[in-house]
Amino acid sequence: MKKEYIRSVLNIFASSPFKPLCIHANKGGDCVRKLSESVHAFCEGDMETVERLNHEIDDIEHEADVIKQTIRGELSSSIMLPVHATDLLNFLKPQDSISDEAQEVSYWLTLRRFDAPPEIHNGFGELMGRTLATVEQYEKLVDTLSELLESSFSKRDVDDTLSLVVEVEEMEHQVDVIEKDLVRKIFHNEDVLGGVGVFHLTRLVMGIGKIADNAEHAADRLRTMVLRR
Amino acid sequence: MELFDPLVIMLIIAGLYMAWNIGANDLANAMGTSVGSGALSIKQVIIVAAVFEFAGAVFFGKRVTSTIAKGIVPIDSIAMTDTNLVAIGMLAAILAAGFWITLATFYNLPVSTTHSIVGAVLGFGLIAAYNGIIGFNDINWPVLFKIVGSWLISPVLGALLAYIIFSLIRYFILQKSDDPYRIEKKFVFLQVATACFIAFAHGSNDVANAVGPLYAALNALDMAGVTVPLWVMIMGGFGMVFGLATWGYRVIETIGTKITELTPTRGFSAEFATATVVVMHSYIALPISTTHTLVGSVIGVGLAGGLAAVDLSVIGKIFLSWVITVPVAALTSALIFVGLLGIGI
Repeated sequence: MKKEYIRSVLNIFASSPFKPLCIHANKGGDCVRKLSESVHAFCEGDMETVERLNHEIDDIEHEADVIKQTIRGELSSSIMLPVHATDLLNFLKPQDSISDEAQEVSYWLTLRRFDAPPEIHNGFGELMGRTLATVEQYEKLVDTLSELLESSFSKRDVDDTLSLVVEVEEMEHQVDVIEKDLVRKIFHNEDVLGGVGVFHLTRLVMGIGKIADNAEHAADRLRTMVLRR
Repeated sequence: MELFDPLVIMLIIAGLYMAWNIGANDLANAMGTSVGSGALSIKQVIIVAAVFEFAGAVFFGKRVTSTIAKGIVPIDSIAMTDTNLVAIGMLAAILAAGFWITLATFYNLPVSTTHSIVGAVLGFGLIAAYNGIIGFNDINWPVLFKIVGSWLISPVLGALLAYIIFSLIRYFILQKSDDPYRIEKKFVFLQVATACFIAFAHGSNDVANAVGPLYAALNALDMAGVTVPLWVMIMGGFGMVFGLATWGYRVIETIGTKITELTPTRGFSAEFATATVVVMHSYIALPISTTHTLVGSVIGVGLAGGLAAVDLSVIGKIFLSWVITVPVAALTSALIFVGLLGIGI
C-alpha cells in the first residue's frame, strides 16, 4: 500500500446513502419502463422483443441489486444519518422489490404466447399504463429526498414529499381496481383462453399489480422514515 | 550567549520542521472544508490561509506560546541550575513531538501536534524532577489539567456551537426559502470570511507547538524577555505557510474532493464554530487541537440534521490518539533528553 504523507480526520464524512438510493429507485423505474414495452410487444405477439427486453430487465435488476448491497454495506453502526438507519433499510427493501417483481413478470411473459380477446388486450394496456404511472410518481417522490436534505427537512419540503406519498397511494388504488376488473374478465373468457391461458394471464395481472403494491409500500415506508426522524 | 549557539540553531530547525508539518497537515485540514464546499479554489485558499495564518500567529499567538514554554514546566527554576538544561530539554521535547507527528502522519493517525508537544514538554519536566533539579510539585499540574480538560471540552464546545449555528440557519433561512440552492450560493461569500477566520484562529493557537520550545530556550538563555520576540512568531508563521504551500495543497486537494457533502451553509457553521472555539482558547492561553475541534463541529452540524452521513467511528480513533500521544511523546522526549545529557551536551 502506498502511504501518503497525509494526516486527516475528514473520513468523518461518510458517503451519503441518499444519492445511491435515488439511483436505485430509477433502476426500478427503468425495469418497469422496459416491462411496459415488453407487455405491449407481448400483446402484439412480438415474442422476439419480449425475449430481448427480458434480458435487458435482468441486467438492470442486477445493477439495482449491486446498488442495494453497496448501500447496506456502507451503513455500519457508526454512521450517523439525519434519519434512522433502520427506517432507511426498511424502505430500501420494498423499493428493491419493484425491480425484482418486474423481472419476475418479464420472465413469465416469455413463457407463453398471448392469445386473447380485445377487451383483455385493452385491460393489459390500461393496467400496465397505470402501474408505470404509479412507479414514475414514486420515482418523483424519491427524487424529493435530495431537496429535503438540502433544506434539512424544512416543513414545506416535508409537506411536498408527504403529498407525493398520498398520490402514489391513490394511484396504486386505481391499479387495484383495474387489476380486479381484469382478472374477472379473464375468468369470463375461460372458454376462449383455456385453463392454462387463464392461469398464465392471471399470474401476469397479479405480478403487474404487485409492482404497484411495492411502490406503494416503499412510499409508505419512506413517509415513516421522513416523519420518524 | 549568541544566536548562533548550536542549541538555538537546532531548536530553530526543529521548530521550522514542526511548523512545516502543522502547515502541511493541520492547516490544510482546517482549510480543506472551504475547498470541499466550493467556496474557494485551491490557489485562493492558499493565499487566504497564508495571509491570515501568518497574522494569527504573529499577532495573537504569543499567549499559547508562553503556556507551552513556561506554563507547564518551571523553566526559570531549571535555568537557575543550568541555563543550557532548558535548551536541551526543549530540544528533546520538540524532537520527540516532531518524530511522533511524522510517524503518525505516515500512518494517517489523527494525532494532534498540540497533544504531542504538551506531552513532550511534560516528559522533559518529569525527567528534570526525577533528577532533582525541580520538585515534582513544581510542575504546574493545575495548568496541565486545565490543558487536558480543554482537549475534552473544545470538541464538545465546537459541536454545541456548530449545532446552534446550523439550527439557526436552518430555522431562519433554509426553511423559510423556496430554493435552498440559492441560499447556498449566498453562503459562499460568508464562507470566504470564515475561511479567513479559521486560518487566523489556527495560526494563533498552533504556532505555539512549533515555537514554544524555542522561546523557552531563548528565555532561559536570556535572549528573550517576558514576551515572545516578534521574529520567533514570524518564523513560526512563515514555517506553517511554507508547509501549506509546499505540501498542504495536496492534502487540501485530497480532502476537497472527498467532502462534497459539506455545502456552504454546513461548511460555514462548522468553520465558524471551530474558529470561535480556537480563538477563545488562544485568548485564554490554552493549546488545543484545531482539527479535533473541527471534527466536533462537523458532528454538531450532523446532529442538527445538516449532513447526509457522518462516520462517528472517528471519535474512538481520536480518543485513542489522545490516550497514546501524551505518554508516548513524554517518554520519547524523556529518553532523548537523557540521551542528550548522557553524550554531554
